[in-house]
Amino acid sequence: MVFEDIYELYWQKIFRLCMGYVNNSELAQDLAQETFIIVWQQLPKFRHESGIGTWIFRIASNNCLKQIEKEKKFSKADLPVNLEEKKQESLEPQIQLLYQYISELPETDRIIISLELEEVKQAEIAGIVGLSESNIRVKIHRIKEKLTKRFKENGY
Amino acid sequence: MATDIDFKNLWKQQTAEKPSIEELLGKLKGFKKENIRKLVATNILLIITCIFIGLIWYYYQPQMLTTKIGIVVVILAMVIFLIAYNQLFMNFYRLDNNLTNNEYLQSLYLLKNRQKFMQTTMLNLYFILLFIGICLYMYEYTSRMKLIYAITTYVVTFVWIAINWFYLRPKTIKKQQAKINGLIDKFEEINNQLKD
Repeated sequence: MVFEDIYELYWQKIFRLCMGYVNNSELAQDLAQETFIIVWQQLPKFRHESGIGTWIFRIASNNCLKQIEKEKKFSKADLPVNLEEKKQESLEPQIQLLYQYISELPETDRIIISLELEEVKQAEIAGIVGLSESNIRVKIHRIKEKLTKRFKENGY
Repeated sequence: MATDIDFKNLWKQQTAEKPSIEELLGKLKGFKKENIRKLVATNILLIITCIFIGLIWYYYQPQMLTTKIGIVVVILAMVIFLIAYNQLFMNFYRLDNNLTNNEYLQSLYLLKNRQKFMQTTMLNLYFILLFIGICLYMYEYTSRMKLIYAITTYVVTFVWIAINWFYLRPKTIKKQQAKINGLIDKFEEINNQLKD
């Protein structure tokens, strides 16, 4: 698969994964771009031991996990609140809430639910995260319950 | 009913403009540069210092063995520091991106712990070797001075060494540890999320 096709096919998916992780579109853009830079660099070494999707999602999610190092320079409190809201004005409040709630989950849960909502198969999610499939299934169920509860609390 | 919220549908409505490939690859340069700049700077600085010390040996032809040992020890201190520093960097750089999150977090955690050990041990070793080297190196020149000047020279040097050892070294270590301990705790916490 050539890089251009991968980029075309996966950009939005990877962006959403990063967005679910940080809930900050600028930061998510950066993370997504970093992911594709790594993909571009390592594509010649890709050996098809796993599906290309699994490979890319692993790189993306690991990159998100690694960004904790940068987080200290970039703490959420430092960002002007209005700025973030303005940028996303066009989005329905429900969408914004969904991303906000996801970004407030524990780190690995953010990745798991993002992949689930991206309709990645649960077996594949297990392969990306490194847990058993049944474990993933239980976790997804719990996370969805949690999100539903948060929405209910907000009157949806 | 709240349970009817279609998360998948909501999720998919979030999109972001895709930068052109040219723009993306343009970032590649900055990405690499940022990572390597500090490494290159440290290497160049220490290598230049080593060459400079080598030139002193060459031009001033020290007579006593202590001076020569002193020079070797100082250069050794820098070389050891440089090797350790480069190796740590390469470990981080070569970290396999295609691990599962679980394995990746564990590698990050191990790597950070190793970094913590290296920073402290290496810094101590570096300082000790540097001090020993300087004291040995000075002996040839102070031995030709009057006793009072020789003593003064050593006292001044020891004061300078003491400031480094008791003030600068702990300060540097403390700063590095604070940062790295925060990270280690965080990685451990995330690691634990996958264990329950």
